Amino acid sequence: MTELTEPPEVRAGLSTRAAGVVFLVPGLAWLAIFFVLPLGIILLVSLGHKDAFGGVLLDRLNLDNFSRALQPEFLPAFVNSLRYALLTTILALLLGYPVAYWISRYGGRRKTLLLILVMLPFWTSYLIRTYAWMIILRDNGVVNSILAAFGLTNQPIILLNTDFSVILGMTYGFMPFAILPLFVSIDRLDPNLVHASRDLYASGRAAFLHVTLPLTMPGITAAALLTFIPAIGDFVTPDLLGGAQTTTIAKIVQNLFLSSRDWPLGSALGFILMVVTVSLTLLALRTLRREVIG
Amino acid sequence: MNLARDEASVDLERTLVEYLADRRMTRRALLSRIAAAGATVALAPILAACAAATPSGSPIRSATAAASAADGSPSMAASASPTPASSPEGELFIYNWADYLGDDVIPSFEKRYKVKVTQDFFDNYDTMRAKIGQNGGGYDIIFPSSVDVPAFVKRGLLQPLDQVLIPNKTNLGTEWQSPGYDTGNVYSMPYMWWTTGVAYDSAKVAEPLDSWDALWMDKYKGHIVVLDDVREAFAAALFRLGKSVNTTVDGDLDAAYRLLAQQKPLVRTYTTDDIGALSSGDAWICHAWGSDVHQVTDRPTVKFFIPREGGVRGSDTTTILASAAHPIAANLFINHLLDARVSAANTNKIGYMGPNAAAIPFIDPAILADPSVNPKRAVIDSLQELLDLGPDLDKYTTRWNRLRAGG
Repeated sequence: MTELTEPPEVRAGLSTRAAGVVFLVPGLAWLAIFFVLPLGIILLVSLGHKDAFGGVLLDRLNLDNFSRALQPEFLPAFVNSLRYALLTTILALLLGYPVAYWISRYGGRRKTLLLILVMLPFWTSYLIRTYAWMIILRDNGVVNSILAAFGLTNQPIILLNTDFSVILGMTYGFMPFAILPLFVSIDRLDPNLVHASRDLYASGRAAFLHVTLPLTMPGITAAALLTFIPAIGDFVTPDLLGGAQTTTIAKIVQNLFLSSRDWPLGSALGFILMVVTVSLTLLALRTLRREVIG
Repeated sequence: MNLARDEASVDLERTLVEYLADRRMTRRALLSRIAAAGATVALAPILAACAAATPSGSPIRSATAAASAADGSPSMAASASPTPASSPEGELFIYNWADYLGDDVIPSFEKRYKVKVTQDFFDNYDTMRAKIGQNGGGYDIIFPSSVDVPAFVKRGLLQPLDQVLIPNKTNLGTEWQSPGYDTGNVYSMPYMWWTTGVAYDSAKVAEPLDSWDALWMDKYKGHIVVLDDVREAFAAALFRLGKSVNTTVDGDLDAAYRLLAQQKPLVRTYTTDDIGALSSGDAWICHAWGSDVHQVTDRPTVKFFIPREGGVRGSDTTTILASAAHPIAANLFINHLLDARVSAANTNKIGYMGPNAAAIPFIDPAILADPSVNPKRAVIDSLQELLDLGPDLDKYTTRWNRLRAGG
């Protein structure tokens, strides 16, 4: 009875806050169990050392693995990882932005269908799609067969196992992650703002550069992060489409965990890669905030 | 002689079937008797019944019995001790490479012993190692490479085989009766063996090749493919240097590393898919496993050779996990695999030579005639086997990861 006499807005406020906390719990639990805990385990393992059979020993913890991981011999693999991830991100943005823009502006009633088409490849396993690229790019693959059939080449062009095939595969694989956030930010942009700029004699190009692009920057950043982060840790694509000269740090980590059974060194390299990724992410977010907010 | 041996083993098996499968109620009793007294005593009635049935087979059986008596009870007692007395033996769980058994091998075993066999596959050897490293993963039989057998034994992952249940081991060729990685085949029976050498597409490479130097030829830059396997890659370099493929001398390994670093710019890719690299034409010269090359049927210009400096002989084994819940069925299955006809059926299906001397009459002549699968005696004698290096393997992997990372 007393509850009924309380002012309704107070009750609403309390229950909203309580509900907020309740709704936060699953997310926080998820983060704790699937991010913070594994990260702690990786850090712990990276401080240990391995026994003769590849088991991890945690007596006398030390930083030896980090000094091994920071040897110059691993630098080229780090450079490859960064290079592939950056190029993939740039290409995914350059190719993804017009697609997202077109779907948003000219998709009309078919917008949903077009977005489903963007996501459709996810219905097939990434591994299978990567194998498909191998078949397309091989010396006797689809591309080389077509080139030879038209008499354009008399020797197959080496496409597979090159920088080209790795970047192609990664761009193909991660582009949907770029298109979706780009679409959202472009779709939310009020077209009247562009119309207003045109009314004020801005050229199409100027309107895009000074209105559309800055206002969709949050979408671009989200797209860049969603492409860059999985790309830098990807080992499937460099492993299957790459070759002897395209080793990435993720591939070395995979080798260390599975073949060499040196989990501590693998963990140290993985941890360093994560630190690099997180730093670059924070840097990107800070730059964005400065640019957008001023 | 082969035929007689075959009949004898069939009879022994038939008696075992009656003993094990038809008397389901007493299986538990049998297990506890094995545990209490050792298999020889427990199976004495079976052996006696067998001896009465086929006199021609008796020398083998008595030899088996004598052998098990001579090497004493330790192996018997050890094989019996991990046997969980409560385990039902109507099932068997096998963890294996895909496409690594003949078509009728499992059905015929299931029928003969009234055991339901479940086979799971791994496509990556490391996955298998990781899985069985955690308490065996619920499997009974695994197929480790012979290189790993000593380490698996040391870690307590395997249980000794019950030699009495494997009379078909007499089918093994002499060089497989007591291989270096497992003296006396206490923990493992050889399953299949193969060679590592060099394959090349004679449509692309005109000159005849016969040396490991082929994998270092500048003019085929970008068309050379090397196995993504640390020991195999180093073996190729060590053969060129005339060193043992099992060396742990740092100087030798440094020299091998320098050779591999010299080779790397010429290499298109490091892979274990030598079949794919050769049949697609991506590889003109390919570091390859002989039996894989046998499977490259869509490109008849592909040739395989064991280099004159020597090649690697590898083998896979069948072993029983210490944690196996169905050790009797597992021993019987290993015996089944060593049957001459079963072994030949496996070879005919997968194109690998088995260690089974008695199987040769039943093997497809085309396989016997293919030197990439079944090299000549002199070539076999020039092969080196990769041995378990224990902690010294680090000397290889450290250099390998440095090479692959590119520094």
